[in-house]
Amino acid sequence: MIKIENVSKEFVSPKKYPGLKGAIRGLFSTEKVVKKAVDDISFSIEKGEIVGYIGSNGAGKSTTIKMMTGILTPTKGTCMVNGLDPSKNRRKNAKNIGVVFGQRTQLWWDLPLSESFTVLKEIYDVSDENYEQRMEFLNEVLELQDFFDKPVRTLSLGQRMRADLGAALLHNPKVLFLDEPTIGLDLVVKDNMRKAIKEINEKYQTTVILTTHDIEDIEELCSRIIIIDEGKKIYDGSLQQLKETYGAKLKQTMAESQPEESKEIKLADIVKEIYKHGIV
Amino acid sequence: MKKFVRTYLPFMANEFKRQLAYKGAFYLFIFISLFGSFISYYLWMAIYGSSKSGVIGGLNQQEMVVYIFMVYVTTSVVMVSVSNWVSDDVVKGTVAMNLIKPIDYRISLISMAMGRAVYQFLAPSIFIWIGVEVYKAVALGQPMVSVTTVIIYLCSCMMSFFIYTLFDFCFGMIAFFTTYIFGLRMAKEALLSFLTGQLIPISLFPAAVQRVFEYLPFSSMVYTPVMIYLEKYTGQELAFVLLRQAVWVVILYALGSLIWHKVTRRLVVLGG
Repeated sequence: MIKIENVSKEFVSPKKYPGLKGAIRGLFSTEKVVKKAVDDISFSIEKGEIVGYIGSNGAGKSTTIKMMTGILTPTKGTCMVNGLDPSKNRRKNAKNIGVVFGQRTQLWWDLPLSESFTVLKEIYDVSDENYEQRMEFLNEVLELQDFFDKPVRTLSLGQRMRADLGAALLHNPKVLFLDEPTIGLDLVVKDNMRKAIKEINEKYQTTVILTTHDIEDIEELCSRIIIIDEGKKIYDGSLQQLKETYGAKLKQTMAESQPEESKEIKLADIVKEIYKHGIV
Repeated sequence: MKKFVRTYLPFMANEFKRQLAYKGAFYLFIFISLFGSFISYYLWMAIYGSSKSGVIGGLNQQEMVVYIFMVYVTTSVVMVSVSNWVSDDVVKGTVAMNLIKPIDYRISLISMAMGRAVYQFLAPSIFIWIGVEVYKAVALGQPMVSVTTVIIYLCSCMMSFFIYTLFDFCFGMIAFFTTYIFGLRMAKEALLSFLTGQLIPISLFPAAVQRVFEYLPFSSMVYTPVMIYLEKYTGQELAFVLLRQAVWVVILYALGSLIWHKVTRRLVVLGG
């Protein structure tokens, strides 16, 4: 479904200097800084998988997602989604995918939510019959009907996030990219979001790629996780395996220092430990 | 074609509806720009009053009145700033949200601009246009404008709209390189008010300058349709100015595609 081969992305930006003096100096300087956001990453994802893509802030998760959705062009390497190169066939690729960026919205800010859905229906060429079917399903799992006629700007974060997920699913995409879909949500809404994602995956065999900082998201949803740090892939495999391999190591080191805490090791501790020491 | 209309029509409709969401700002805008028109009206009245010849730049006093207010009508329909939206999208990073949809960014922007143009035509331009005609008939005792002229004028306005929005799209692309273009936009607007004939008719410029303007797309944005409305072009000349507008639409479309292709190669999305 998705094949990423040796993908790198570099950002070039003008060099900034500290302080007022630096700000003035910056006006005349032509020095450039190259930042490698993603560094030689390869992986492939099969149909129907839910993959957790995790890493610390600024590790390059969002950049990878943006390359897979065709927003950014990789500096090096190839990226194929459903047999298409997103950077070359952006619009064709966009028909097959649904995207939620948790910190942004794809809805029309000043208009009722229903208007956004009508626009999306036309954009993605969804037939009336499919639209009704899909809306019924979305209402069931996301309960959109309560605020369907309210302007988007008046929605609460939880409502907006549900609406955004609904909007991304309207055209029944083959691949769903979720960039921090549960950011800032309360426990109940988070739980609903997770349930919805799970149901969609089971019902339509939708491939889901999910970035998150919420360990519970991963434990509940993901059959497989990929960890990246500073642009490099440091782990790719099942959750179980991660726990077994690194959990055991952690248990050992912890058992030496804090024997009473070593009995119950949570995934969060493992990930933290990996970041700290770079066990991999 | 049907599919195309069905895809982009909602953008137009939504922008139209969006205008209704923030009415206050819009009426203030009408008031301020009408204010400008009246200032230039009184200014020109004073100029004609103290001038010995009754014709300035090929226009007599009555024609100048029509010119001033038809510039207002034309500008409000033609000059819908697309670069405004582009720079917003770049600064806030929302451009990403447009790129995840299977749509052409430029066409969606132009569709939105069309929604805005239709709204501005209905409120208030059409009323000012009617006002101009009533003024002509009642105060000046002149015949009203002919239907043929109105049709040609509207066609010309349509092309002007595309020339302006396509140009402004290219201009907006600068935002992808510099991020912030507010200052540049101010400069652009000031410069365009001269170059398009919005501030003073182009026929007032020295002959050498006018010749340079012939090779720029700006006079085709406002000056051409207004002069068509004043029936200053006939026969071959009319055909030539319309053709020139059409050529600019094609050139600016091609230029925009080229720039967009380059921009997407080096796009940076701000704000995570």
